[in-house]
Amino acid sequence: MKRTALYAVLLAGAVVSVAPYLMTLNSAFKHPRDVLTTSAWQPAAPATFENFSRVWSQYDMSGFLLHTLIYAGAVTAGQVVFSCMAAYAFARMEFPGRDLLFWCYLATMMVPQLVTMVPLFLIMREFGLIDTYVGLILPTFFGVPYGIFLVRQYFRTIPRDLEAAAQVDGAGTWTTLIRIMIPLSRPILATLAIITFIQTWNTLIWPLIITNSAHTQVLTVGIAALKGQFASQYHIILAAAALALLPLIAVFLLFQRHIVRSIALTGLK
Amino acid sequence: MSVHTALEAGRSTDARAPAPRGPRRRRRVRAVLEAYTMLAPSLVGFLLFLVAPIFGVLALSLFDWNLIGTPAFVGLANYRELAGDPEARRAIINTIYYVLLNIPAQTVLALLLAVALNRRLRGGKVLRLLYVLPWMAMPVALGIIWTWIFDPKYGAINKLLGLAGIDGPAWLSSTTWAMPVLASVNIWQYTGYTMLILLAGLQAIPRRLLEAAEIDGASATQRFFRITLPLLRPSMFFVLVTSTIGSFQMFDTVYVMTQGGPADSTETLNFHIYQQAFRLFRAGYASALAVVLFCLILLVTVAQYLYFRRRTIYDFS
Repeated sequence: MKRTALYAVLLAGAVVSVAPYLMTLNSAFKHPRDVLTTSAWQPAAPATFENFSRVWSQYDMSGFLLHTLIYAGAVTAGQVVFSCMAAYAFARMEFPGRDLLFWCYLATMMVPQLVTMVPLFLIMREFGLIDTYVGLILPTFFGVPYGIFLVRQYFRTIPRDLEAAAQVDGAGTWTTLIRIMIPLSRPILATLAIITFIQTWNTLIWPLIITNSAHTQVLTVGIAALKGQFASQYHIILAAAALALLPLIAVFLLFQRHIVRSIALTGLK
Repeated sequence: MSVHTALEAGRSTDARAPAPRGPRRRRRVRAVLEAYTMLAPSLVGFLLFLVAPIFGVLALSLFDWNLIGTPAFVGLANYRELAGDPEARRAIINTIYYVLLNIPAQTVLALLLAVALNRRLRGGKVLRLLYVLPWMAMPVALGIIWTWIFDPKYGAINKLLGLAGIDGPAWLSSTTWAMPVLASVNIWQYTGYTMLILLAGLQAIPRRLLEAAEIDGASATQRFFRITLPLLRPSMFFVLVTSTIGSFQMFDTVYVMTQGGPADSTETLNFHIYQQAFRLFRAGYASALAVVLFCLILLVTVAQYLYFRRRTIYDFS
């Protein structure tokens, strides 16, 4: 009896968690006039691709997707490479000021993103990088403290014997990092890559500030503008929102074990 | 090891002059250089895009500047203006209100779910996955979806309320309801994530302690408050600190759903900074606001740290 009640509550929670996704997908497949006349939970019958094809053809959705893919892809690649290097230096190499510097990295995690936006914008303007992909990508390309922290903690759990053995065989620092540490750290690097990709895909503030033309506009900026323009035409903006979420849902379901495990780990550190 | 020494030896004969320092010292210098090479890209990014802007914002807050002309040094005038600015005070109060709506509800809900899922129920893994699903969603897309869900006429919430015979309000155009709606979107998005971290903390608590307490006749409530909760403190601390910092920074949802309205009732500090900097081009004043936001976050984080520090942390590993 008690168990049934527990399940009922847990199930209700799960329904609340997924209902907005399901209702959005459902409504995006409805005929435009049915989006307003029927309730969100009434099934799309007959289902139609009309909203999607309209959003796709009339607005630059393919452009938004491409720009977002470039942005998120480049930032993810950069972060994985440079976080590995920095994490290795912090985890295994001896140099003066190491712990102080690492502590400084951690301390900046408390600084809100928006606080640094005005000076960051001015720095990019100084370099002539306003409304360019380089300007868009650069601030997070070299790694962020959180990612470096994540990889460093993982590197420290790898037994030192392995590196010592490699060094006896003549491997230098770089060889050790590339041949020993990175292959052993695949799970955490996959996690870092997935989380970075999702976060960059979702970022609004920085692209909003640094880009201002059609050829650099990313999904977040693009569909926020659509929402401003077509506030009450839900069939259009819901289809756009569904298109922005679908790749994320795919990535999430594909890598869910990595993601769930990595979130669980963050709290235990 | 032997390869390294051989290389060192080769180098020192190349240099022709007798090495003033021993090879050990030289190897150490090289190791340090190597470490900094490894660190260089991240360090450049860190200094240029994180440290420089932090000092930049402090400096800018002492200037009056529209981002185009010559900046004029005004000393603490921006802070003085801020202290007497009702809009800034409003934004700070709104931000604190939003955080207070968010954190307790989210943490308690997450804790309840985590405790329930810690019983190793059948289907627990699937439930866990479903709860985390909102976490990765794009806040901009969520803003659109939740605007629709809370639409007074076509939205799911008011249609559901209608079925129960209740006439739902115009949520997002009400100065009373707009902020709770924004908070509920955030609670929806992050409860599952918080639950997962707490669940990991719960699973790290040794079962034998709870069993021992049960044998000693402690009730379920006593076991929860006397054993589970105190042992969950490290996870709790992490969850509270990160989610509080996160809520102070909320931007996307306001930007998409309300733009600070109606009547500034959802104008948070973060959104206010954006407006001042990039719509009104008051770089100096916006920087002063940013410094205030940072101090506010620092204050709350330190308070949380002190509260959690003065309690014992148990280690059973």
